[in-house]
Amino acid sequence: MKPTPEEERLMNNFLPGKISKDGFLGSDSRHIHDIIEEDMRILEALDVDRTYLADRLHFFIRRGREGLEMPVEEEGYRIEVHWQRGMLPCPFGEPGLHPKLMAFVTHSASGKTIRYSQLSVHLIRRHGFFGGKGSFFRLQPRELVHFFCDRAGLACAKDPETAD
Amino acid sequence: MTQILITMGVLGGINGLLALLLVIAEKFIANYGSCRITVNGEKIFEIQGGSSLLNSLKTQKIFLPSACGGRGTCAYCKCRVLDNGGTVLPTEAPLLTQDEIKNHVRLACQLKVKKDLAVEIPEELFNIQEFTAVVEKLEDLTSDIKLVRLQLKHPETIQFKPGQYVQLQNNPYEGVKETASRAYSIASPDSDSRVLELIIRLVPEGIVTTWVHQYLKAGDEVRFTGPMGDFALHEGEGEIVMVAGGSGMAPMVSLLNQLEKQKSKRKITYFFGAVKRSELFYEEVMKRFGERLVDFTFVPALSQPDPDDHWSGKTGLITRPLDEYLQTIDTSKVQGYLCGSPGMIRACIGVFSQRGVENDRIYYDPFS
Repeated sequence: MKPTPEEERLMNNFLPGKISKDGFLGSDSRHIHDIIEEDMRILEALDVDRTYLADRLHFFIRRGREGLEMPVEEEGYRIEVHWQRGMLPCPFGEPGLHPKLMAFVTHSASGKTIRYSQLSVHLIRRHGFFGGKGSFFRLQPRELVHFFCDRAGLACAKDPETAD
Repeated sequence: MTQILITMGVLGGINGLLALLLVIAEKFIANYGSCRITVNGEKIFEIQGGSSLLNSLKTQKIFLPSACGGRGTCAYCKCRVLDNGGTVLPTEAPLLTQDEIKNHVRLACQLKVKKDLAVEIPEELFNIQEFTAVVEKLEDLTSDIKLVRLQLKHPETIQFKPGQYVQLQNNPYEGVKETASRAYSIASPDSDSRVLELIIRLVPEGIVTTWVHQYLKAGDEVRFTGPMGDFALHEGEGEIVMVAGGSGMAPMVSLLNQLEKQKSKRKITYFFGAVKRSELFYEEVMKRFGERLVDFTFVPALSQPDPDDHWSGKTGLITRPLDEYLQTIDTSKVQGYLCGSPGMIRACIGVFSQRGVENDRIYYDPFS
């Protein structure tokens, strides 16, 4: 289906140099709706709600922020959050701005690290968008589920503060 | 087969005709002609209608702040539209309070100029100008922080208050076809109005910082708008306690230059936080301030020094040495000046408050 002018305007926001240097799509040539749909199917098959993942990501940002750029240990993870000057708008055109917070969360036992931004949390929670394949902030839903849920002793309880 | 081809041809023709009609309609129906914008009841501009108020004002060298590039998400470009603004658009409503709507406040980036308008804009915004400058020097201060020294070209001088910032605009570069603007505090003294120094930290995926760090060269021409912001030195008698981290150094250097120029006799203590020794910079500059200012102490603190750093100075989060220090002094007249991440600012405000520094004596420039 041909996109409406409004949709085309929004699609533009995902391209390199509009909101971030390399944009949100990476090498993914699929339509944003198709990217979201496939990722949602993966989560559905794993029986994991995207809100749960957004909650976990937000929880680690919140804890990491307390470290004022110093690593913080939490539940067997090492979290480092960097806060840069400026704000980013949501590429889907939602009102409001998101602080330029970038989190690096490392599972201490396995050494595996994920990186994401405050905006990533919003995109996952509100839009189910994990980024296009090959994009800088792409989080693979399956890997993310394993990262948070397959760790021994980690309760998959939701963070009480869910707002992003 | 012939029928199919004829049908396709007819459909193609109809599509072409519709497209042509749309172009004609755009040209004649959506042509709003010349519109007059009256600013603050005195300045009158004639502009071609059809553009957003934000862009129309820009053509008249009036620069309203905008952090989202006119996408209607940041709400920084609010101004009062007294006449002919029409009803608030659905794209504006979520970003306006009921009081603002009652007071005819609008988002300049969303409001299209279709008729004569009367608008009200804060006077201080008229000081904001667009500049071109040439990069005189680029210097690595740390692995991800650069000093950018600009020689102003047009206009040739800038008047600013130490503590203010400018919005630097990138030139298009590899993969980035458009320009964007980002805010950077001025680090240079206001005594030399022909040059401007900025301290810029590389932001992963940052459009402008990547350009500065990886593409900008000495001799390049750049554009910026400014000055903006109200972070500034305040009158007072008590001690000045500054706290910053990373590129938050920039406005502090500018404030220290101002204090030096004023021959201030006030006691000044400056806490600067970094993770490792390699992230500390401007120690020589601080040493010079120590020699020129009557009573200045620079207190760098490392949160996680490397063993190779052989660090014997303060350690821990910047809040720790700050708290320890405030416990040793009379804080009844202390002024706090902060620049850094909102997280750091929040934590430091907590320390200041706990040690008796009231909120009206704490001034800050958050990274927002």
